[in-house]
Amino acid sequence: MPELTVETRDVEGVTLLYPKGFINAHTVRLFEGEIQKALAQGQFKIVVNCAGLVYIASAGLGAIMGAIEEIRGNGGDLRLASLNETVRNIFEILGFNHLYRIYASEVEAITSFRRVEEAGS
Amino acid sequence: MISIPSQTSFLGLVREVTKKMAESAGFADGTAERLALAVDEATTNVIEHAYHGSGDREIELRIEDRGPEFRVEVVDSGATVDPRAVPRVDLGRYVSERRTGGLGVHLMEKIMDSVTFRRSARRNVCCLVKRKDSAAAR
Repeated sequence: MPELTVETRDVEGVTLLYPKGFINAHTVRLFEGEIQKALAQGQFKIVVNCAGLVYIASAGLGAIMGAIEEIRGNGGDLRLASLNETVRNIFEILGFNHLYRIYASEVEAITSFRRVEEAGS
Repeated sequence: MISIPSQTSFLGLVREVTKKMAESAGFADGTAERLALAVDEATTNVIEHAYHGSGDREIELRIEDRGPEFRVEVVDSGATVDPRAVPRVDLGRYVSERRTGGLGVHLMEKIMDSVTFRRSARRNVCCLVKRKDSAAAR
């Protein structure tokens, strides 16, 4: 079984990433590549559904941090959903729960982008 | 004790072995997973900083269940790296400065009860200790 797979799909103009496995120094390139693919396609609303993510090491957090400025600079955001206890704990340890929006479910994360659009119209 | 090549492709094995040993030592699943992450970070640091990404070196992992303590030593024969020289993480400035270094050591220190580095017989030894009585708190 591969250590990481990342499926993607698009819902209502939001790119959804589904990392399954773990993100560390060995697997981060795959995860980073999918983020960069979305940005290259002009997709700046991204939700990482972490339901299948066993853990994320600093390399993975670095990948998110490396992209977030470009994402937010283009009016978008990278939000996270369905974190398990371990991944949530890692985010809390580093205080990343204050830097990134985290939602209990994918639906809530997608909806959060819609609310921003409605507020702006 | 296990000895692995200094390649990131072995980090998955490091994680599995550490997690299983931690569970055998009595840690709950979540704690064992975080212990495995700390060891993943320590091993990654060796590959990237002590060995500068060279994949033909060796890393030793010594994992011990020592009564009240669970101890992991990550040993390498690479360049001397003093992690205390790594600038401390200021998370408030992290995004604005786009820094990605130092997070691994920060995570290790937050997960473990003790993280120490020493030089012994021309080898670097990173020692990670988790006390069993503190596991419930983290």
